Amino acid sequence: MEMKQIHGKTTALLGWSLQAIEAIDKMNRPYVVVGPPEFKPFADKNGIQFVPWQFDVPIEHSMELYEKLKELDTKVAVPIYEETVEWAGMLNSLLWENPRVFNKSLLLRDKSLMKRRAHLAGLRVGVFEEAFNKEDVAHFLKRMNEALLNMDEENYEPIHVKPFDKAGTVGHRMIKKSEDIEEIDDSEFPLLMESHLEGQEFSCEAFVHNGKVHFLNITEYVKLGHSNFVPASPTLEQWRPQIRETIEQLVKAFEVENGILHPEFFITPNGTIYFGEVAARIPGGHIFEHIERVYGFSPYQGQILCCDPETTDEELKTFFPEEVVSAKGHSGNLMVYPKVKSISKLNIPDELKEHPYFLKHNMFLPATSKVSERVGFGNHYGSIYFFGEDSTEMRKLLEQYEKHDFYL
Amino acid sequence: MNTVIKEKKTTTATRRKTTARKKTTTTKISPLEKKFETALETLNQAKPFAKSLYQTDVYQLANELASTIEGMSVLFKYAHLFDQAGVFLNGDWEDPTKLQPPFVGGSLRLRGIYSILELLSEMRMLAIAKGTYKHESLSSEHASSFLNEVLALNLDLLFPEEQESELEEHLIRAQNLFTYLQQELSCESVAEQMVQEIKRITVQRPIITKRIIELIENSKLLINDEIDSEFAEELAKYSRAIDAPTPLSLEAADQRDYRLKLEQASREELISEAERFAESMNETGLVSPYHAILLRFLNRKYQEIIPSALHLTESGITSFNENIDLIHDIIQLSIYPETKQAIYGLTKLLNRGVLKLETLIPALRQLFELPIHAEVKNGLSNYIGLNGISINGILVAGVVSVIGQPLGIGQGVNPICQSARAISLWAQYDIEKLLKLITTAARDNNIEMTFEGELINSNLLLDGVVTANLQDLDPVSIILVPHLDRIYNEMMKRTLLRGEDGHKWVNREFYGEWIPSGFINVIDPLTLKVTNYPTFVKLFYATHHPDYNEGYKMLYPNPVGIYLTNVHGELLGLHAVSIQRIEKDQHGECRIYFYNPNNDSTQNWGQGIKASVTGFGELEGESSLPFHEFVSRMYAYHYNLYEQGDTYMVEESIVEKVETLAKDSWGKNYEWA
Repeated sequence: MEMKQIHGKTTALLGWSLQAIEAIDKMNRPYVVVGPPEFKPFADKNGIQFVPWQFDVPIEHSMELYEKLKELDTKVAVPIYEETVEWAGMLNSLLWENPRVFNKSLLLRDKSLMKRRAHLAGLRVGVFEEAFNKEDVAHFLKRMNEALLNMDEENYEPIHVKPFDKAGTVGHRMIKKSEDIEEIDDSEFPLLMESHLEGQEFSCEAFVHNGKVHFLNITEYVKLGHSNFVPASPTLEQWRPQIRETIEQLVKAFEVENGILHPEFFITPNGTIYFGEVAARIPGGHIFEHIERVYGFSPYQGQILCCDPETTDEELKTFFPEEVVSAKGHSGNLMVYPKVKSISKLNIPDELKEHPYFLKHNMFLPATSKVSERVGFGNHYGSIYFFGEDSTEMRKLLEQYEKHDFYL
Repeated sequence: MNTVIKEKKTTTATRRKTTARKKTTTTKISPLEKKFETALETLNQAKPFAKSLYQTDVYQLANELASTIEGMSVLFKYAHLFDQAGVFLNGDWEDPTKLQPPFVGGSLRLRGIYSILELLSEMRMLAIAKGTYKHESLSSEHASSFLNEVLALNLDLLFPEEQESELEEHLIRAQNLFTYLQQELSCESVAEQMVQEIKRITVQRPIITKRIIELIENSKLLINDEIDSEFAEELAKYSRAIDAPTPLSLEAADQRDYRLKLEQASREELISEAERFAESMNETGLVSPYHAILLRFLNRKYQEIIPSALHLTESGITSFNENIDLIHDIIQLSIYPETKQAIYGLTKLLNRGVLKLETLIPALRQLFELPIHAEVKNGLSNYIGLNGISINGILVAGVVSVIGQPLGIGQGVNPICQSARAISLWAQYDIEKLLKLITTAARDNNIEMTFEGELINSNLLLDGVVTANLQDLDPVSIILVPHLDRIYNEMMKRTLLRGEDGHKWVNREFYGEWIPSGFINVIDPLTLKVTNYPTFVKLFYATHHPDYNEGYKMLYPNPVGIYLTNVHGELLGLHAVSIQRIEKDQHGECRIYFYNPNNDSTQNWGQGIKASVTGFGELEGESSLPFHEFVSRMYAYHYNLYEQGDTYMVEESIVEKVETLAKDSWGKNYEWA
């Protein structure tokens, strides 16, 4: 899409993402990409303005990056990855001379702080505590089950642990018995411990500008880390007013002015919403691709517009379509992980390829047959994309093929 | 997965039936084609930096299409658009002029995405060959010959053997590709390409013939009624040469049977067998295993027929008669079907007349019963077959080959040009030294050399380019190379701080005193810049070109350093060759005849510089280039200070011509002072 040039100042993308670069490139506004130095030759070759930067250095180095971006007349920094959220916070603090922007971004980078903040703001959260060693975990597991009057150690209700600052499901563990605790490496601490939440899990992608939610997408999870679709089914969408209310509460609680929020919730059949966690970055699981496919706008561009304080309400109004009703259908995908240790062939059933909802898949026989270990839900081997009108059929397909062995 | 795979399992005969079943597959093809077209168009629309986001979809659908022959024709339909859309952008296949036929087979046999890219690349090549796609720097003829060569090199994929188990999908795709290419190209041009390839390698008469034999074995698949009788006959000739080139061997069921037939043969039949073998060997440079059996048989009962079996010249016959006992023992000890190729070496050794050197005979005999070091035994164990040849037999066969064919020594795929060149030089001009080195290396697993009066023992040195994994080498190279490599390396180390290229001193000490003491390198070792290039060129003309060097003739080969460049003139690396002789060819053009240890002497070095191995009076194993073309690739040479003409007599125009060639090729990688 062509956009008229309204801003002369530079937008900085923090993190290397071709999708994001392609999106901003089409917006016809000056931009610079800040990313790992290994991308420099590629950026140079393709005429992409680039500042090499390693984000794994202490945030105190940000002055140096700020100087570089200042020279390029940067007005706003947009975070692409979890790890760049605090960098964007810091840089925007400096660019806008507002230290609070950085402090707020830290809330989003520490799951334990985030949970407290949400709790304080009156959102419903599970029971949580911080663990600094294995004893803490054992104690929490025991006390949680005592509270549930469950004394049967063999059949404890599970708890969850996860690192404070990792994206999505990286480092997440479900703990049911002491053996599970033993498997945690001491280096993984500190961890956030949470009670297990029942209910249907979903995520939201809220496009926020000036503290106002301009577009709210609900992504229905069929199986966490494996499958989801956009927009959610009518069963889930019926709770949209309540969900929107919760999101607005969240925006207020975290004092979010500009950008996107990607929180995860659980909802019980009677509509009680529990807050899981929230991130201020591009969601994983192909969610942006789904949004683009069904709504026809680029969520990357949406994020950039929302991050920029100078964007006008008018622009946002023309940019975002009407939620749910304007969707052309449901877009979903299944992420595939090999269930075998060593891959000898691909097994893609004809009836899948012939199903009218089937769009495409990107599975190839890997050059090496050994399957690599899984971290979080990050490194799936391939994805299968579906598109269709009926969310029930979509869910059925995603459930059905989740069980299928694509790699033999 | 589906019926398609099962179809592919079948052989070529049944594969033709697939057209009859077309209906079942076409229904799937057309929606697939639409998807492919859309994906290609999306890719086409993307900016160059974002192409990789959309390439995968194209590859995935191509993958799907390539699982049927019908799908292959869909791919071909769009192949002319691939480059424009950016199918290959930012990858190894981007520039078709940089692709090389020998690498295609390997990529197609990889699982995963690379095999798909390779396949699409062949389709692009086919579009260029057929003229549906005009490439700015690759002609349709070039594309055709590229594909012919690819087919010739991968005939096993074109004519697959019956498979017990289901083939992996990437191999099915590869077979579909070749079946499709074969429909589009002619079998005949593939056969022609095959003949050219076999001829090209055999004319150089390498000692190691593994690659040639593989090619010939593959070519057997191609011999059918469809191809022109001329090529079929050529291929059949090579095929006979490595198998059964004589009437009796043709009838024999196996080696034992052949030997029994020889027992019953008349003297005339034996002579005829001998002559036929000799003729086939002489014509192709290849030896049949039955030839070894005949020779062993004659060696016991009919020694007088042996000269006919070896294709000896007059001086060869004299040499044979003067050393009849030695030859008897050599054959008895070392000529077996496993070492058949040494028969050609034996012929050449006798024809060279080198046995006149009296010291040679005891040195050779010493090898017959030399105690062999355990590690050396280990290194040669690959040569041991079923017929009971001894390690000493293998060693002697190897020595016979090397002395008989000094220019047949090759470096294989190993980075050992320096050592291969050394063995070749000694095999020509210092056989005594060579045998001494072989003896100590085989017995003690050590070589001693002196450098400026100091003794160097190879077994005390650790560093060398190569220590293990030497592949496809002759027995002498296997024994010597690790030692030579370490010693050369050590000598070079000792000259490191001299501020001049160490080769100046090392070459004379390493190869022999006959290397001229004058030495020049185009690179200044202190600044690493190309320095005084015109002087470098003029000096070479004044010392080596017959029109400028006052008529001095080269007595010994000159080991020189060259920049190896690829077909685009881009620098690949440094390489060691030796200039064998410099003479005017039949057209009066002055050429440099040289030995290239890399077994691929007709490499194209770019800028139209393509070494030839035949047609300009090249001897077996020699390559040749016009004088100035060779000079343009050289970076170092030795020269005789006392035998030179005047450099100022060399015309500036010549220097300019050479300098332009140098600057536009390897010179791009250097600063010019």
